[in-house]
Amino acid sequence: MPPPNSAQTALDLLVLTVLDRRAPLHGYGIAIAIEELSEEALRLEEGSLYPALHRMEEQGWITAEWKISETKRRARFYRLTAAGKKQLRFESERWTSFSTGVARVLRHA
Amino acid sequence: MSWLLRLKNALRPSRLDADLEDEIADHIERRAAQLTDRGLRADQAQRQARVRFGNPTRMREESRTVRLWASLEGTLQDIRYAWRGMRKAPVFAMTAVVSLALAIGANTAIYSIVDAAILRPLPVNRPDQLFQLTSPAIADPGMPAGEERDSFSYPEFTEYSAITKGIARLGLFSYPRQVEAQPFKAGAPIERLNLAFVSGEAFDMLGVGPAIGRLFSADDDRLPPGWPTVVLGYEYWQRRFQSDSSVIGRYLKLGDKNYEILGVTRKGFFGVEPGQFIDVWVPGTQYDSGALTNADWHWFRILGRFAPSTSPAQLQARLQPAFHRFQAELVKAYRTIPPAIKKQFLESEIRVCRAPSGASQFRQTFSRPLWIVFGVAAGILLIACANVASLLLARSTARAAEMAMRVSLGAGRTRLFRQMLTESLTLSLMAGAAGWILARLMGPLLVRLLSTEANPVRFALAIDTRVLLFCVIVSTVTAVLFGSVPALQASGAQPMSSVRAASGSTGKLRLGKVFLGVQAACAFCLVLVGAAFLFSLANLFRVNPGFDPRGVAVFGIATDAAKKTEETQRQLMFQLQRRVESQQDIQAAALAPWANFGGGGWSNQVVIPGKGPSDREEIFYRVSPGYFATLRTPLLAGRDFEERDSKDSNAGGIAPAIVNEAFARKYFNSLNVVGREFSYPSEKGIMREVIVGLASDALYNNLRSAPDPILYLPITGDADYTMFVRSSLSLGLLSRIVDREARELGAGTRVKEITTLDIIVGNTLLREKLLAGLGGAFAFFGLLLAGIGLFGLLSYSVGRRTREIGIRAALGAQRMELVSLVLTDVGALIGGALCIGLAAGLTVLTVFRSLLFGIQRVDPTVICISAAVFVATAMLAAGLPARRAATIDPISALREE
Repeated sequence: MPPPNSAQTALDLLVLTVLDRRAPLHGYGIAIAIEELSEEALRLEEGSLYPALHRMEEQGWITAEWKISETKRRARFYRLTAAGKKQLRFESERWTSFSTGVARVLRHA
Repeated sequence: MSWLLRLKNALRPSRLDADLEDEIADHIERRAAQLTDRGLRADQAQRQARVRFGNPTRMREESRTVRLWASLEGTLQDIRYAWRGMRKAPVFAMTAVVSLALAIGANTAIYSIVDAAILRPLPVNRPDQLFQLTSPAIADPGMPAGEERDSFSYPEFTEYSAITKGIARLGLFSYPRQVEAQPFKAGAPIERLNLAFVSGEAFDMLGVGPAIGRLFSADDDRLPPGWPTVVLGYEYWQRRFQSDSSVIGRYLKLGDKNYEILGVTRKGFFGVEPGQFIDVWVPGTQYDSGALTNADWHWFRILGRFAPSTSPAQLQARLQPAFHRFQAELVKAYRTIPPAIKKQFLESEIRVCRAPSGASQFRQTFSRPLWIVFGVAAGILLIACANVASLLLARSTARAAEMAMRVSLGAGRTRLFRQMLTESLTLSLMAGAAGWILARLMGPLLVRLLSTEANPVRFALAIDTRVLLFCVIVSTVTAVLFGSVPALQASGAQPMSSVRAASGSTGKLRLGKVFLGVQAACAFCLVLVGAAFLFSLANLFRVNPGFDPRGVAVFGIATDAAKKTEETQRQLMFQLQRRVESQQDIQAAALAPWANFGGGGWSNQVVIPGKGPSDREEIFYRVSPGYFATLRTPLLAGRDFEERDSKDSNAGGIAPAIVNEAFARKYFNSLNVVGREFSYPSEKGIMREVIVGLASDALYNNLRSAPDPILYLPITGDADYTMFVRSSLSLGLLSRIVDREARELGAGTRVKEITTLDIIVGNTLLREKLLAGLGGAFAFFGLLLAGIGLFGLLSYSVGRRTREIGIRAALGAQRMELVSLVLTDVGALIGGALCIGLAAGLTVLTVFRSLLFGIQRVDPTVICISAAVFVATAMLAAGLPARRAATIDPISALREE
């Protein structure tokens, strides 16, 4: 498990959150969603998304299947699993406590 | 991802790569489309999209690593999980592993011998091109046909080699024989070696080269034979000379001749007969000179190699005319053989049999018993599988809550199934490892069971990939056999049903009963077969051989071969007999050229005055005075031989003879035969005999056949002979005495072999002992496993029905009613299994009837005793759970709920 504040954890958290709200989505859809939701504040190196997706798939947090997309193309659609939901809760709690901690330090220092 | 898919990924990453490629291409295309929508030119959009995506190769690499590692990690995780599960239930794990290990070990051990003796090709180049020449068996009238003939004469070999030039190559191989050897110098300790004679080009034909030095060549086939030379077997060279290459050119004394050591055969080559390791090879031309010129001395095997594109039929057609000519000459030479046998010789055809695994006496004797034992071992494996399957089933009930929990937490069914199967595989591979060790220990023991001192059997049982592969395959198949049904059951866990605790498990109980039925049927079949072989052996032990083998030691005596007259030699033999007999605590001693039951023999036609020559050959046996007293074969009339009786003593050249009852009845129709005369044809003409005594019937070759007619004649002088000694002394002490007396006698007299008559008779029962020993042991083991299975199932069912039984007891049910409640359906099951097992067992016994002795086709004793043993075991196994059911306290049973 990566340290709670790493970039990997952050990416995981973003992907899980997006999938929680909008599943099923293909990789490109996830990238777009993150861009939109963060109002373009967060722009991924898009290529790094896929290893993350595949890793989470192996960990059993998300599952994927090949479907024919709206544009009649073969695309891989991802969705959250029960374990993924649990992970999401866990990660977001940790993230919140981490960021409130940082915020508190910034405020009171 | 399913387990299979992962395996596919790991094995064929190209498919994974194609998927990744698609995913990347899709992403870039979508991005480009979006950018085009925003007004970029198509080519700019493409470039922009690629820039934003980053390095696709690195991404591909990362993804691949993630997936492959994950698949490996997943498996490791499963194994760890399985290991934890086993540590949590050690009794279950131990029972499963031990029973499977025994079953897998037994199968592997027996397979290793079946493989070495029957299946594995010879360790030579292109063994599929090898063949052996044979011809059909010649049967005595009224006797079952014996084994196929595979022996040929030296002149036949020479002629066949010339005839087949161009379409095949032939090699000559003698039967292995034991010789006394002294390496390097006279006075070194005498060793016994396995020796075979070969033709010069035999090694070249096989494609076997030297490890060091050189092997024989065509020059060694030239007559007259040259300088005696010898080639050592690799294994002997390694064992005796520690692979010392300076042995080349030194001398090895074999018998009474010195042989120069030419070379050593290459590593791994043991000979052409599985079961026999040849220590020393000698050119065929060094054989007894008579064997090289006489076409009727059939002392060799002929093996050969087809030239490419030669068919067996082609070779057969080429050889048949010459073979027929030899058979015709044979019939002419054997003037004394009965016409019925002559006809068989003249009509017989030579056969060309493919022989990729070489020639084997052992195979002829033991292949059927080995296959039976192999089948029995497979039965054991089936029982063990059913047993472990029902254990797993019972255990999965205990784990139903866990499974239901995992299903409701979203674990996939395939994932659970895979998990369970990993557990089974881990169990069976652990059992396989233990079984492998067990097999490596049992293999040599089994071979020792089949081996005798006079005919030592050895196999290359070294670590062998074929056997290892077999062991792994058996273990895996076992895991699938016992693991998949419980795994399916467990992975199909219904979360709701486990909440509604008691219901939903009837399916499992039904399945458990199926496993129990399989076990019971197999076990009864094994018990029946095992009992038949045990009874068969017991019947053979009860056979009265007509002599008393207990307390009789048998010595092989050798004398220096220096030329002595036959009469001098004979007197020397009597001296030794008298010397030994005069010792304290020695009751009697007697001489014969070879021991009865040892496979040695001489048979001949007899001619009764007034009748023609007999239609079959009878057993002739030369014995010294005192033979009948020593072996305790009663003389019914007349007298024993005396020292002055010789083969041509008595007036008028009529020699004395003693016959047994069977002989008297067959040829004289009366037991009043003392004084009657008859004759027999021999090389030296017609020999006349007068009967001086009548002995009671005694068996001569084996315990299976009815007493054959035997004709005893006075002993003749010979350099090698056998001495029987009846004494109450221990064999060690006795052999020291006999050895001392022999040395004191001089003329190089010495003890060559020591054994007992009991052992010699026992050696004729090797097959029967193998079948009874292993059959009995496996039957016991199968019964034990089935008993454990029954006990487990009933305990489980009583446990589940505690409440029901409690209620019944509370409502006033009697103990017996409760017991019968538990036992009724199992009783029916066992009954059914008995019937199936009986049918299967009787079929097996019918097929292998010829290996049984004194057992009827449907033998009531065997069936009743097997059934009694089986039912007793079942009652014992069922009794404990039933007792528990009967003593359930209604109050506490109801309170538990």
